[in-house]
Amino acid sequence: MRIFKRCVVALAATSLGACSLDLQNPNSPTQEQVTTSPDGVIALATGLQGRFAASYFNYAYMAGVVTDEFAATAAALISISDAEQGLVPPGTGIADNVFNSLYRTIRTADDLLSGADRLAGSFDAGTRSGLKALAYAVKAEALGEALQSYQRIPANTFGVTAPTYVSRAEALPIVRALLDSAAAQLAGTAPSAFFTSSILTPGVNLANMIQVFRARYARMAGDDATALAAANLVARSGTSAISAFTFPAPGVNPYANVTGGTNGIAVRRQFRTSMLPQDQRFGFFVIPSATLFGRIQTTPLDPFSTRYAVANATFLVYMPDEALLIKAEALANQGNLAGSQAALDSVRTDCTGGRGLDDPKACLPALVGSLTQAQLLTEIYAQRRYELLGTGLRWEDSRRRNAIRGPVAAPALPVDGQRCWLPYAIGDRNANPNVPADPTEPAANPAGVGCPL
Amino acid sequence: MTALFVRRAWCAVGMLIAAPLALSAQAATGTIRGKVTEASSGRGLAEAQIQVVGTRVGALSQASGEYVLTAVPVGARVVQIRRIGFQPVNKTVQVVAGATATVDAALSVSAINLSEVVVTGTASPTEKRRVGTSIATVDSTVISKAQAMTVDQALQGKIAGAQITQNSGGPGGGGISVRLRGTNSFISGSDPLYIIDGVIVDNGSAQLSDLGGRSNPQNRLADINPADIDRIEIIRGAAAAALYGSRANNGVVQIFTKRGLIGKPRVTFSTRLGTNELREQQPFNFYPYDVNGNPIARFNLQDDIFRRSPTYEQNLTVEGGNDATRYFVSVNATEDQGIIRSTESRRQGARLNLQQQLSSTLIANVSTNFVTTRNQLQAFGEQNDYGIMGSLFFAPTQTDFRPLNGIYPLPPALGTNPLLAIARIRNPQTVNRFIGSAKFTWTPVPKLLVDYTAGVDNAAFEQGQFIPRNAVLGTGPLSTGQSQSVFQNTRVLNQDLVSTYSWNPGSEFEWKSTAGLNYTQQSINLTQSGANGLAPVGELVSAGSVPFGAQRRTQLRTLGFFGQQELAAWNKLFLTAAVRYDASSTFAPAQRWQAFPKFSASFVALENRPGLLNSVRLRSALGWAGSQPGSTNAYSQFVTYSNSAFGGRPGFVNDVTFGNENLKNERAREWELGTEIGGFGGRVGVEATYYDRLVSDLLFFKPLPTSTGFSRQFAPIGTMSNKGIELLVRTVNIDRKDLRWESTVTYTRNRNKVESLNILDFQSAGGYPNRIRTGEPAGVFYGSYAARNCVTGALLLDSLGRYRRSNQTADMGLTLAARQALSGGTCNDSLNKVIGDPNPSWLGSILNEFTIAKKLRLRALFDGSFGNDILNLSTRAQNAGIASNSKSYERELLPYGDARKLAPNFNGRTQGIFEYWVEDGSFVKLREVSASYTLDWAPVKRLFREGVDLTVSGRNLWVWTKYSGYDPEITLFGTNAGGFGSVQTTSADRGIDFGGYPIPRVWSVSARFTY
Repeated sequence: MRIFKRCVVALAATSLGACSLDLQNPNSPTQEQVTTSPDGVIALATGLQGRFAASYFNYAYMAGVVTDEFAATAAALISISDAEQGLVPPGTGIADNVFNSLYRTIRTADDLLSGADRLAGSFDAGTRSGLKALAYAVKAEALGEALQSYQRIPANTFGVTAPTYVSRAEALPIVRALLDSAAAQLAGTAPSAFFTSSILTPGVNLANMIQVFRARYARMAGDDATALAAANLVARSGTSAISAFTFPAPGVNPYANVTGGTNGIAVRRQFRTSMLPQDQRFGFFVIPSATLFGRIQTTPLDPFSTRYAVANATFLVYMPDEALLIKAEALANQGNLAGSQAALDSVRTDCTGGRGLDDPKACLPALVGSLTQAQLLTEIYAQRRYELLGTGLRWEDSRRRNAIRGPVAAPALPVDGQRCWLPYAIGDRNANPNVPADPTEPAANPAGVGCPL
Repeated sequence: MTALFVRRAWCAVGMLIAAPLALSAQAATGTIRGKVTEASSGRGLAEAQIQVVGTRVGALSQASGEYVLTAVPVGARVVQIRRIGFQPVNKTVQVVAGATATVDAALSVSAINLSEVVVTGTASPTEKRRVGTSIATVDSTVISKAQAMTVDQALQGKIAGAQITQNSGGPGGGGISVRLRGTNSFISGSDPLYIIDGVIVDNGSAQLSDLGGRSNPQNRLADINPADIDRIEIIRGAAAAALYGSRANNGVVQIFTKRGLIGKPRVTFSTRLGTNELREQQPFNFYPYDVNGNPIARFNLQDDIFRRSPTYEQNLTVEGGNDATRYFVSVNATEDQGIIRSTESRRQGARLNLQQQLSSTLIANVSTNFVTTRNQLQAFGEQNDYGIMGSLFFAPTQTDFRPLNGIYPLPPALGTNPLLAIARIRNPQTVNRFIGSAKFTWTPVPKLLVDYTAGVDNAAFEQGQFIPRNAVLGTGPLSTGQSQSVFQNTRVLNQDLVSTYSWNPGSEFEWKSTAGLNYTQQSINLTQSGANGLAPVGELVSAGSVPFGAQRRTQLRTLGFFGQQELAAWNKLFLTAAVRYDASSTFAPAQRWQAFPKFSASFVALENRPGLLNSVRLRSALGWAGSQPGSTNAYSQFVTYSNSAFGGRPGFVNDVTFGNENLKNERAREWELGTEIGGFGGRVGVEATYYDRLVSDLLFFKPLPTSTGFSRQFAPIGTMSNKGIELLVRTVNIDRKDLRWESTVTYTRNRNKVESLNILDFQSAGGYPNRIRTGEPAGVFYGSYAARNCVTGALLLDSLGRYRRSNQTADMGLTLAARQALSGGTCNDSLNKVIGDPNPSWLGSILNEFTIAKKLRLRALFDGSFGNDILNLSTRAQNAGIASNSKSYERELLPYGDARKLAPNFNGRTQGIFEYWVEDGSFVKLREVSASYTLDWAPVKRLFREGVDLTVSGRNLWVWTKYSGYDPEITLFGTNAGGFGSVQTTSADRGIDFGGYPIPRVWSVSARFTY
């Protein structure tokens, strides 16, 4: 009996402590743990760069498939060969991946911004400046990629239950303002050595990246002065001119994942065959083939070069010569034809050894004579095609050149772009009442048309 | 803080309810002894409960039927004698101090028994007649006669209102799911709460390595030895289970193990030897020509995969005791070889149950059970890289899989070489499990009963895996070989305290007040280590060159208090009101504490009257209960981040499943109305119940706008109802000295309906057509169909006589106008539609038992399911282009001119038409059949006290069905787990036959010796 009494008392005593129902999740860090500690916020910056690499790739992949850059390999899913013909029904995985991953990147950038502000006192000024500049720049580029894929996009999503969609005219200034904020951060306080060496992914030059993005969206907005100024701020040579994500094992360069299997794509052979015979740039991107054909049997393909198809290859954040091409275009628009032609020639004549960069090298001769403004712009578009493969910029170029044909079955040779926009993501449509109706694609038009913005 | 303090205070108060009360009562006493016999045979009846009414003096009869009651207070006493399955008897006796009175009783069988004592859902032992809900009870004889490998298998066809499905036929009982009154939740399976001797036990079906995606190789109830079980009580729904609070929505199955019979030590040894075999092979394409008409050899892989395999079982029990001490000791060993070669399950267990009277007021009951289950399994179901069944269905019959030069050829497109898998792939499992409980029953004064139970269920589960290099197609990591070792330790601790006080305000009335508390803590710790890139020799992880690993810890706690008030009037009307106040750590603090009330009434209109109508009882109950998500969603209330390393550095990103900081439990409201009627002198008993249940705040993943950077949230998504009828009829058709014939018939009808959803319809099982859709039963098949002419109803065919697929523009035209012109109406307007329903219209069973000359017993159980559809994805796989091994594909190979000839790609085009694969899954099974003979000649009885029982039995012997697959009962999705990995499934997903492990036909002979 006494033993029983003791048992009851002992049990009551021990059970009191065990009665707490407030448990912590030991498997995953909570919001509080991540966003209120400096370590957590720094880890968010790494997570952000990873998400940015993934979303940029998803965008570039999809843009390449709906333009004349990429086509499905034989083992690929039917949805990819449909997309290369411009058929992208709502719910297509590779299209929804673009939207979903871009907005995950944006979410993480917002998380990082709010964390850097909340813990302002825990970071030195240079580290905080670097964190914020990185977040602004990446968020801006993700929004920019969204507005190059969708007719309308949600611009304000952080802490919003049902984000609303805005037009490109409303979204583009937001993107540019974010990039200006990024540039202003760096201009105000230079990033600390700790940020540059321990937070920023090795191989990425943040200042250069911000200026390339500023030039890119200034050009899109028709602001030639800003585009020119920003392009001039981009380093042209040396290691600082290159920004590339690296993928030490077990990381895998995203292009290496899609050179085969059900998501397999390759470069349309026409990319290489349409170049001038002397143009050497194909070697950067592809290995010439005479035998590789796509899922649609009439599509001749070239497999990706080892710069892409290898697991630990780097993934360029932008092509260094994009800045030169933007500069050339801005100068041409401003009437400085000689300056434009000079900038263009420096792209054309870039050759082995050139500026010391591992980038596409045309090794073409300089242009002969003085080109007119129209000739210059045509040449700029052509150079952009061969210089910027796999960056997603081809899609916007075909859109602004009214070279979108609209979906058509099994195009023998596609025009520049097959469709104007992607349908809005099913994941947003199913849960967000503010998603607009999917825009109507233009009817098949061999001459190509522009897209309603 | 205040709330926390209040909870702690409650906790303390609850724990101290059992504060000792002083008591002592000495008075003059006498003794009663006697013998309880079965009226029809005169044989002694063991385990009859003899109670002196109004005192706490009671005893159980020994194996011989004899009993002794000591310390009976003197005076005129009423002795009540009760036993399950018999009509109770009350006898009056005069007890004289120091003298011994004799009370013998002969009990008659009763088809209906209102005096049976139940404890599940009633807080304290209570006669059935007082309980306003239906409670199903099954005793040990029913379980032992089933000759089943597992407890849940033994219950098949025995319980009205239960759909007990053997999802797979693997060794050791396969995977079994139990649905009581339909599907009531989408999460954590819809399986009931299992309690063994007061211990909540884990019935998970976790796969620690991929043994078939979401398929169900085995659930952990398989660790329980059916021969140890004395009795099972089943309460089916919220009204009956309100006292179990936030876990009771799916009902409760409470298992009581044997306590030991009072008397001299009894040693029983039983042994069973049986064979498992594939019931019948499936037809395959054995056409001796290929598609070009050239002669080719074809192979029947089924001969190489399946086998006739042995199954053994041995049980040794020793039991005995006296009024103060009872014990039951058992040792058990089984070995069940699967019908797929290289699969087997072995279980070895021991149990010691001890009951000890510590003092005149205190009884201790200790149960301990240790079991080791060792399995060697092969993957099936969704596992198509190295799963055997998938490889069988996807392999062309012209592939010769026999090894050449020691190398096993791989199939051309999908799966592995089944012969290679059988010879080399290994998925060993070891479960070391201890289940133990201690229960103290204290009756300080006759009217106060205090029960305290503490229990533990601790299972250490190790899953190994070895896949040699070059056993899987392709160039992925699996093709380089894989070795894994995964450990999962699951521990459930629980404590229960119940105190009951009864008093009689007047002679016509009786009050009973109960208060209790319950605390459960479950922890699951998992550690995985594995590697790919295996060396040519070596099967352990250390043989690998590309390591991987994982760790996960989960804890769940539930704390609940309850109070119950019962009122009995004139021993005819019984009213109960109760409430459970309950909280689980899974839910958000602000939502956590929930009250679950219940109200019930029982009215006994007639009881034990002679003549045509003997007993009539009416009952009704209304109650609420909840359900908790399982361990997978234990932390869904937290907004968490995921690890996302990049560039060789650790990183975090928001988890795309957004935590729900207001997470609360599902809530079921159930109302039931029922009756028990006994008639024809105890020879006919009917139990009937109607129920109506509405579950609200159903938890599942609610899509979030992906523009927020999240994609879903675990949140309430809707409501669902189940309404139905349960009927059980027991009859004694013939009751003569030399022939007795009893029958039991069950009928179960349930109508499930998704009443409302606050999200869009959704495909509940990722990749399969099961769908949750407002207004339809949960899990209906929704998908593409073969278009029909809207006027004639005839199938629309293309120029080659092939079907037109509803969601294919190539078949139906680009525009709606084109579709309608082709269809002659609007009947094909939708791209997809509801094409089938896996939920049965009704279930039924008939059990007939014959006893001839008291020595030969014959029994047969037929069990059936009616009106349910099955999606036959196994045969669909056979028709896939890479396989082309179906019987139907043979018809494409026939020469032109043959009337049976099908157009080229006829079968290939059916792949996308899901309606084509929907079949009627109704079936009737001869579930159990047995013949037992008792050898009781004098020479035998001299050696074996009760003779020797010899039994020949069979399980799953015949199936009557139109279904064309191996077995209409097997289904892809399992019980409790969402499956391996995080692929979406709900517990509504049923009726998918995809690479299932066929259920064997079992023949066995057994013998039982009692010393």
